[in-house]
Amino acid sequence: MGLMGGSPLTGPGPEGIQPGPDGGFPPLPETGGLTNAVDWVVGWARSNSLWPLVFGTSCCAIEMMATGASHNDWARFGLEVARASPRQADLIILAGTIVEKMGSRLITLYEQMPGPKYVIAMGACTISGGPFYYDSYSVVKGADRLIPVDVYVPGCPPRPEALLYGVMKLQELIKKGAWRNSLIPRPINHAPFKDEMSETAREWEAKEKLKQEGMKEAQEKFKAENPDFKGVVIKRVAAPKFDEVARVVRPARGLPPAEILALLKTFFPTLGVYNLPEPDAAKLAALGPEYVLDLTVPKEDYLPLISLLRDDARFKLDFLIELTAVDWKDRFEVIVHLLSTEKGHKVFLRCALPHDAHPELPSLTDLFSAANWHEREAWDFFGIRFTGHPDLRRLFLDDDFPGHPLRKDFEDPSRVVKRPY
Amino acid sequence: MEALKTSAPALPPGFSLRETRADGSQEYFLNMGPQHPSTHGVLKLVVRLDGETVVEVVPHLGFIHRAIEKMGENETFVQYIHLTDRMDYLSSHINNLGVCMAIEKAMGIGVPERGEYIRVLVSELQRIQSHLLWWGAFGMDLGAVSAFLYGFKEREKITQLFEELCGARLTMNFFRPGGSNADVPEGFIGKVKELLEEMKFSLDEFDTLISKNMIIRERCFGVGRLSRERAANYGCSGPVGRASGVDFDVRRDDPYSIYDRFKFEVPLGSNGDCLDRYLVRIAEMRQSVRILEQVVAAFPEGQYRSKEKASYKVPAGSYFSAVETARGMFGTYFVSDNSFKPYRVKSRSPNFSNLSALNEMAQGGKIADLVAILSTLDLIIPDIDR
Amino acid sequence: MTEIPANNPVGDFLRANLPAPWAAIGNGLIAVAALAGLVTVTAIFLIWLERKVCAHFQARLGPTRVGPFGLLQPIADAIKLLMKENVKPRGVDALAYFLAPLLPITGSFLVLAVIPFGPTLQVVDLQAGVVYVVAVSGLGILGILIGGWGSNNKYSLLGSMRSGAQLFSYELSMVLCMLLIVMGSGTASLREIVLSQQGPFWHWWIIKMPLAGVAAFVLFMVSSTAELNRGPLDLSEAESELTGGFHTEYTGISFSMFFLAEFVNMFASAGLGATLFLGGFLPVQLGYAPVDHALAMLPGVCWFFAKTYSLIFLYMWFRWTFPRLRIDHLLSLEWKFLLPASMANMLLGATLVAFRWIIP
Repeated sequence: MGLMGGSPLTGPGPEGIQPGPDGGFPPLPETGGLTNAVDWVVGWARSNSLWPLVFGTSCCAIEMMATGASHNDWARFGLEVARASPRQADLIILAGTIVEKMGSRLITLYEQMPGPKYVIAMGACTISGGPFYYDSYSVVKGADRLIPVDVYVPGCPPRPEALLYGVMKLQELIKKGAWRNSLIPRPINHAPFKDEMSETAREWEAKEKLKQEGMKEAQEKFKAENPDFKGVVIKRVAAPKFDEVARVVRPARGLPPAEILALLKTFFPTLGVYNLPEPDAAKLAALGPEYVLDLTVPKEDYLPLISLLRDDARFKLDFLIELTAVDWKDRFEVIVHLLSTEKGHKVFLRCALPHDAHPELPSLTDLFSAANWHEREAWDFFGIRFTGHPDLRRLFLDDDFPGHPLRKDFEDPSRVVKRPY
Repeated sequence: MEALKTSAPALPPGFSLRETRADGSQEYFLNMGPQHPSTHGVLKLVVRLDGETVVEVVPHLGFIHRAIEKMGENETFVQYIHLTDRMDYLSSHINNLGVCMAIEKAMGIGVPERGEYIRVLVSELQRIQSHLLWWGAFGMDLGAVSAFLYGFKEREKITQLFEELCGARLTMNFFRPGGSNADVPEGFIGKVKELLEEMKFSLDEFDTLISKNMIIRERCFGVGRLSRERAANYGCSGPVGRASGVDFDVRRDDPYSIYDRFKFEVPLGSNGDCLDRYLVRIAEMRQSVRILEQVVAAFPEGQYRSKEKASYKVPAGSYFSAVETARGMFGTYFVSDNSFKPYRVKSRSPNFSNLSALNEMAQGGKIADLVAILSTLDLIIPDIDR
Repeated sequence: MTEIPANNPVGDFLRANLPAPWAAIGNGLIAVAALAGLVTVTAIFLIWLERKVCAHFQARLGPTRVGPFGLLQPIADAIKLLMKENVKPRGVDALAYFLAPLLPITGSFLVLAVIPFGPTLQVVDLQAGVVYVVAVSGLGILGILIGGWGSNNKYSLLGSMRSGAQLFSYELSMVLCMLLIVMGSGTASLREIVLSQQGPFWHWWIIKMPLAGVAAFVLFMVSSTAELNRGPLDLSEAESELTGGFHTEYTGISFSMFFLAEFVNMFASAGLGATLFLGGFLPVQLGYAPVDHALAMLPGVCWFFAKTYSLIFLYMWFRWTFPRLRIDHLLSLEWKFLLPASMANMLLGATLVAFRWIIP
């Protein structure tokens, strides 16, 4: 794609400016020697003084930093003046996935940069969504849907050498005379979602079908001409064979599950064990030494049980590993994993909730400060409302995000691309 | 003043602003991020300030929420490994190990001796690599830019070893249920031995440059305190928890792979301040070097993985595994409905819980303290957002 | 002590051949042009030097692609910054916003006017030269304050308020260090101060006044680092905290003015340090006649630049080694340590001068 933005991805450039014959740049007007000299100097200066914005969202940022580090040293190209303020930057290296929530911020950053400004899309995510193209409800499928991109550097993540090559390509582009057009505002795209990959896949399938038909004809013709041909024998290199290895099982530490259950049964007789009707010591022992007690808790016992587990000196489960939920289509299960940092034993709990729009459960925030964000996450993903939570807002997604994405019935064709296979 | 009040935009969610005080002074908000050099990625902090003193910090997450857990439901168990690379990309080997262990637990797969040694070897190299990067970034956040380059210089050596091992520098995708997808290349152990010698030297160098620096000590001592009870209550694990005195290390207290065969200590802090978090990580690097010395001394021959399977049909049930990444306890929770794909995946990221304690740590400090705290939390934002 | 003529041949020539007012105007124009040239060349060279020095401190190469050893790198940067769009963000106070970048560079420009670059190379030799330097260097602070206020950005405001607090406090100990030399040499004219250090190197004020001289030099270096807004005391920029501090909202040419001023200021400050403590344009004399004669062959301006650049290297060394201080540590360092220390140093110096306990 050229610097003009006149590309198939971002649509036509601004009014009145037609892309040149090679697709990228409009032809420069005929000029005299002096103008050409000034052109050359300015192009030279701009291409050799690209100050990047400190912008990195995920994995690629580490490789971007590695490019700046001693081993690769992008200072050789004059790039080490990384600016934290977009006002002083010339170049955004989009290092890492752009998600929907970040997209609006990225556009702001781009608009805050003074012209001429350049964009390098680093890594598969910013080129097309990369590994997060399918099934993801939040990833922008290519940063060029938001802002015009000059150079694409593929890789996941690209090596530092690849990024340096991308920078050199950008320098070439600028030197080619593109600097004159760079002050013309380029369009920022707000195009609706289009599943380009599936379309390409469908086209490819159609072509493949045609090819197969052609091949079939050719094969039949070949068979008819060479009736004696037996086919080619392919010898493969033998893959190494490995033996089965017995699994070494380490016993869980702390109180054994049977003992915990027996103690708890004295307080909460209705307590059950997941996937184990009428549990007793023998049945629990049969599950192996690795087994961690997995209790099913009725909703009314949920809070008292966890408060007992935390405070009782025999259990001392003082550490909330995680709190999450599972959507079983007919019910929700809130799952709580607890750990005792002193004794080393774990206890898992699950509490079934009806499959309503917003099922309710008491909040654990009074017992564990850690539960605050875990519960917000469960609210965000599943729409489970935790009563008594001080600040139950969405955690990851925008406030206007439709629905709760980790529910099994979540459908959003404007965001999610389903795998074609 | 009145006009200013009425025209002021709505407060950020989760906030309330105190009344203007008698002397006319007022608290104000500062948005740090999502694009800010010291938030290490796209974390947004809304900071309520009284002059330069931090009154309250509210982190806003989700600027790199990539729906990894939803994607995991549509990929096979083994395919989930490569997604965990991209969560905590500085501990990608260890994350992979966590996923593999959950699958092994579900399927009853064993790992041969050499495979286990490779796992410990690679995990500890990864831990050193991650801490090196943290050390550099810590220096940079506190204004010692050169430290960043020194950290990266040392890290590059390990990165090159990893590249030799599995062809990737960052997103490894190397471990498989039952072992790893390749053996260590020829001469690898010798190179690790050389590296360990260099590492001891450079760790001493780091001490001279940063650990013993008076400015660093002044800026870190007593800053961002977190008591043991609060740290456990917030679910802080890893160096952050241990600096506060939460004496829990998955490698020692819930041993996986063959960590119970090696001698190492778990460094503990007592103050729970930035300096403790710093010193705990430096001590951890030395302990990792110690483990690695034992590993390379006893590295066995034999097969590096057990029998391969084309696919893994995991019996119905739920499976949990925990590993100790460079940042703390990384848990993988699979729920299976007896199929090739998980019904629900949940990754317990250590950063998520560690960051939730930020508000309590930063209150009453200066903006510069907030930067120091963020730096010693060693955040990887994609790990938090998933 | 030998008399050194104060006038240079160019000035004499103009005065001899033109009527008095025209000669003065001509001399003034030549001086301004020379200073402007010096400012530009120095700033550009210093930017290159900083990037190279920083790179070699960090085991890197630094700019290599443009010109030999990347020497043209700052020129490319300068042309690019000039050709960049100049944005006026919404809500800025236009007058303050566009005026601010001019003040720091003006301040450092004016300081250079009284610094003796060589025996005959000084624009004007004011009798109150030291006082004048202190007065005009305040313009830089003003520029930062105005720019931070006018930018309509909280980071800028925080940065400029920090630098206000920082610069005004550090000005005190810096002035006290300079006063010590004024006291010792008995004059406030920078040229006279240089001339009072003639002889072997132990006649420089850093050694001449036992103990107090070294102490004053160290205090001067620390407080001038703070005055220059350079690391480890660059709190008003503090990239990892305030993104860009006071210049967060500045683009293109306005930003380049701040950028240039930073380096010209560094040059002026190092030049001042060399003048006050290291004998300015005087050659290094070891007290051994044959060598001294050879050393004295080099013109004064070379010695001045050699000494100044050694101090500049020291500034760069600080910057690329130390971590940044916190604002309250910085202020308590000044008010609780540096200021009392420089006052005590003044007392010590006064005693030394009163009893003539200085190296003859």
